Amino acid sequence: MQVVSLRPEIGAETGKVSGQTRAPAMIDIESVSQRFEVSGRKSHLALSDINLSVADGAFVSILGPSGCGKSTLLYIVGGFVSPTEGVAKVKGNVITGPGPDRGPVFQEFALFPWKTVLGNVMYGLRQQGVKRAEAEAQSRRLIEMVGLKGYENFYPKELSGGMKQRVAIARTLAYHPSVLLMDEPFGALDAHTRTRLQNDLLNIWERDRKTVLFVTHSVDEAVFLSDKVVVMTRSPGRIKEIVDIDLPRPRRRAELLLDARYQKYVVDIERLIDDGRDDVVQP
Amino acid sequence: MRIAVSRLSPLLACLGLLVAWQLAAMLLHTDSFPTAWQAILTVPDVLGDRESLLNILDSIRRMVIGLTLAMLVSIPLGLMMGRSARVAAFFNPLLMMVYPVPKAALMPVIMLWLGVGDASKTLVIFLGVSLPVIYHSFQGAKAVEEKMLWSGAAMGLSAVQRMFRIVLPAALPEILTGCRTGLVLALITMVTSEMIARQSGAGNILFNAMDMAQYDTVFAMIIIIGALGIVLDAAFDKLRWRLVAWAEPRQDILLGAS
Ligand SMILES: Nc1ncnc2c1ncn2[C@@H]1O[C@H](COP(=O)(O)OP(=O)(O)OP(=O)(O)O)[C@@H](O)[C@H]1O
Ligand SMILES: [Mg+2]
Repeated sequence: MQVVSLRPEIGAETGKVSGQTRAPAMIDIESVSQRFEVSGRKSHLALSDINLSVADGAFVSILGPSGCGKSTLLYIVGGFVSPTEGVAKVKGNVITGPGPDRGPVFQEFALFPWKTVLGNVMYGLRQQGVKRAEAEAQSRRLIEMVGLKGYENFYPKELSGGMKQRVAIARTLAYHPSVLLMDEPFGALDAHTRTRLQNDLLNIWERDRKTVLFVTHSVDEAVFLSDKVVVMTRSPGRIKEIVDIDLPRPRRRAELLLDARYQKYVVDIERLIDDGRDDVVQP
Repeated sequence: MRIAVSRLSPLLACLGLLVAWQLAAMLLHTDSFPTAWQAILTVPDVLGDRESLLNILDSIRRMVIGLTLAMLVSIPLGLMMGRSARVAAFFNPLLMMVYPVPKAALMPVIMLWLGVGDASKTLVIFLGVSLPVIYHSFQGAKAVEEKMLWSGAAMGLSAVQRMFRIVLPAALPEILTGCRTGLVLALITMVTSEMIARQSGAGNILFNAMDMAQYDTVFAMIIIIGALGIVLDAAFDKLRWRLVAWAEPRQDILLGAS
């Protein structure tokens, strides 16, 4: 029950069932680097040689200091940004653009302000040709699940930050992507709602077995939710460590908090992140 | 109560203006400055005259056509410029050059090519309206949050669909602000064009009356054109409001719906 630390290059192999044929990984990130042209100065290396493989149905969290490239990594998997080096693959196919198999939940929500809450959540379903009545019924259920019943006809402008975040989550869950790309989706929520949504997300995940790539700043949250926690170094972002979280599921928060293994994971990962702090004082 | 006041305030402003006019005219007491009351009494005469009415309707028709054509061209152009740096770089120098030129100043040249008829006047209106509509559409499209487009792309919207179903609605408040400016400019260029190409229209009546020293008619026409502008602007603002209520805070939506 100790923390299993895998070097990145070994992490790339974790989709393989040892000794047998390789199970197809859902996401493969192979030697990905991302360089941004910054006006005036020379280019900025945001991600450096990232190798990561995420098995189908796995819940993987990414932790790392601000600006280390977590969002950028999600954008690459989403197909919104193409990496300057290396390739990202989904189900073995090189990612060349966005698609409904990968649903993003952005840090900035990016709701459609001219649509109501219901209209936002229904949008993806309607786009996929689901009949209005059916799309509406499904969307209403999701809106209720994220705790926004009664707000169906509100416009995004009339919602608080936390409420917008919940709409954004519902909007992406609505069209059933097989991979969820969640960028600090609970960042703007109060502790109570956050815990509730974590549980809801786990329930959905345990039921549908979606693959989740989840960016967070909370070590607790990462350990509670994940099969694997990827810890990144400060800019340029590299994978520092991949920690397998070997805790039984279904997980219950109250039980886990008392579990020594859980606590050890949290402490170990916090130490990993702290370590990083020494070697990076210069920008 | 506050609603009642805000609804009435434009009316009060009009009334105040008319009273000031009335008093000034009575004090000055010259032929070339009829009182507000005299001018108002002349309005039914002008509108009752078949010839004048047809002229005014001609003006409105040209204005509507010029405005519509301008919006049909300028909104897509502005949106494309806002989303593509290359399109923007291509059209920008041209627009920068055209922008400060008073469009009515082009009227003589246009008349030389297209005559004094509808074509010239409609073209001038078109030119007058285009720039603010292009500019605001451009600004609106440029400000569309990238993540919003990404969200659409992830849902499976093609580039063309994203243009129509994300960029267009997201930029709509800004586009309509441009159109509102365009509407007023259309009215101005309409009258100006008719002053230069004196052949038909509201501007023509006005200046004919001026030539014949019919000052009551001159001021009646000013009232008619002014009222036309105020009514069109208010109607357009109401329409704009319905289309982009989502961009305003909640209270206003409730007020607007009541
Ligand atoms: N479009 C861009 N152009 C230039 N530089 C960029 C661009 N996008 C990101 N960067 C840079 O890349 C680095 C990584 O950014 P990113 O947003 O991925 O960080 P992050 O880990 O998500 O940070 P946070 O935790 O604050 O959200 C940052 O230094 C940022 O300045
Ligand atoms: Mg980020």
